[in-house]
Amino acid sequence: MISLSDIPARGGSPFTRSMGLFVLLLLTAPFWLEPIGLYQYLGMEIAIWILFALGFNLLFGYTGLHSFGHGAYLGIGAYAFGLFQQNITISLWGGLLAAITAATLAGALVGAFVSHRRGIYFALMTIAFGQVFWFAAIKLHSITGGEDGLLGIPRPDLVFGPLKLDISDNGALYWFVTIVLLVAVLALWRLVNAPFGRVLQAIRQNETRARFVGYNVWLIKWLTFVVSAAFAGLAGGLFAMAQESAYPDVMSLHQSGLIVMMVLVGGGLVSFWGPVFGVLLYFIARDIIGGLTETWLLWFGLMFVIMVMVRPEGMAGLFHVLRARLPLRSRKAVGPAAQAGRA
Amino acid sequence: MIELLPHIVNGLTLGLLFALIALGFTLIVGVMEVINLAHGSLFALGAYFALATIGGDWFAGTEFGIWWLSLPIGTRYVAALAVGPLLAAASGMVIELCLRPTYGKAPLYGLLLTFGAALVVEEVIRLAWGTGEQNLTVPQTINGAFLMGGLIFSKYKFFAAAFALAAIALVWVFLERTPYGAIIKAGSHDSEMVRALGYDLSKLRLLVFGFGAALAGLAGIILAPIWGLRPHIGLDVVIPAFLIIVIGGVGSFWGAVLAALLVGMSVGITGAYAPAWSMMSMYLLLIAVVGFRARGLLGRKSALEN
Repeated sequence: MISLSDIPARGGSPFTRSMGLFVLLLLTAPFWLEPIGLYQYLGMEIAIWILFALGFNLLFGYTGLHSFGHGAYLGIGAYAFGLFQQNITISLWGGLLAAITAATLAGALVGAFVSHRRGIYFALMTIAFGQVFWFAAIKLHSITGGEDGLLGIPRPDLVFGPLKLDISDNGALYWFVTIVLLVAVLALWRLVNAPFGRVLQAIRQNETRARFVGYNVWLIKWLTFVVSAAFAGLAGGLFAMAQESAYPDVMSLHQSGLIVMMVLVGGGLVSFWGPVFGVLLYFIARDIIGGLTETWLLWFGLMFVIMVMVRPEGMAGLFHVLRARLPLRSRKAVGPAAQAGRA
Repeated sequence: MIELLPHIVNGLTLGLLFALIALGFTLIVGVMEVINLAHGSLFALGAYFALATIGGDWFAGTEFGIWWLSLPIGTRYVAALAVGPLLAAASGMVIELCLRPTYGKAPLYGLLLTFGAALVVEEVIRLAWGTGEQNLTVPQTINGAFLMGGLIFSKYKFFAAAFALAAIALVWVFLERTPYGAIIKAGSHDSEMVRALGYDLSKLRLLVFGFGAALAGLAGIILAPIWGLRPHIGLDVVIPAFLIIVIGGVGSFWGAVLAALLVGMSVGITGAYAPAWSMMSMYLLLIAVVGFRARGLLGRKSALEN
């Protein structure tokens, strides 16, 4: 089985072909979404979940820490954004900052508990903490609004120096989300292709060995957890804007499991871009199969089960194998694994 | 103290019921090192199959169906107690067959596959029995309430607790006093050696998974009248089960029973002071226990730690 470590590190410029394609798709999406029968809001939802999934994959795919409670940080970000607007002041940057800060703090706290665990015990601990947050969100009625959540969260104006833009309609908000996503993707791409990213993969492959080489494994795991929670918080803030509400449902084990499914089906274990495929596939399945039959989750679940059985590397792994089988291309490269680096 | 008594009784019965849910789970984790997230779904399936058996859904409209419905509810209930777990066991075996490609890989894949299976089962239940809440009828003799020391207790809860106690005892006898139990325990201790001794390991795994699933289905039938029956009950149930396993120590029989009683008591007693937060106490218990002792109370070293 191939893994992320088979992909050569790419220092230097992040402007690869895949990145170009990704940017192109994002920037042109508003012009072809409606003609092909989809809707503007879907594009925004997908962009937010891609942000969440890519940040999550830092933890899941790169460091091999299998968190099953990551929806909690998305939810915390969403609540923090909403509470900031309702209790302090209506401000876009303030709200997003509050979302990131709240998720980072929660991540730092939980990270301190779970970072000396690994494997299934790490997963189990993250499930427990995720449930604690979810439960608190439902029960702290006076703060979070209970099961209904916070309603009527505004979409504040984008203030940038002297510039002031209204981003309250879906079209304008899409552009804002896209720009945030692109900045985040560049940051993540740099992070995982920097030496730090190699250390993360070393921890995934053999934690003991990484410790013997001299890395402070606990600190790095904790940091990764915190950074990943911060990205989730940012995604949560945007999600609260998109939905104009924040509710406990996104923090449930069900949702946290779904993000794991998306990342895995897409191939987050073998490619930086894997989570993107996964999120796309999930939303396409939800909207297209969901349009045909009410039981789309049954088919998505079955597909997932079969995927885990026959090709746990996910879609990105499938592309990789197909590419390696094309004789013309593989001869040019050092080996089939090197080819995947460009995927 | 005396006003706490009903809460302690409640906590103990709840603990026994939790133990019943956790039994099959711990058996599967112990032997196969698979965290079966579909355990709750098998629990739900067992209860739904029992519902269909009592209601005669399988042969509605036929002459046999009419004769079946004319039988007293007690007979049909006892039949359901056999049919539900058997069908749950069959479903569990199907999941085990799907799990085979994941053996030898990281334990994560087993967890993921069973999570997917849980989703599938939940949707199948929605398709077959609808999304609404259903009621599992129980015979009159074990229904209703009785007075004891001036307090009202539910008869069914005591029946369920006694049933759970009996099931725990039977599973213990099976594991400790029969040759099959010896093989299963050996399989969880050193599967290579068991294979070397000539036992068919894949058959053993299939049977253990089926047995665990049957226990889940049985727990479902016993608990459905208390907790209600809805398609997503699986996910609600698997969480306490896995919490108990982790607190008690993966693969430890008495660890699971002890942890279940602890969790039940903590939920029961928190319920006395802050009913809304009673379910929260079990998560805090888990974090407290695992924070200090990763292996749980009575756990031994396991491959899952890697």
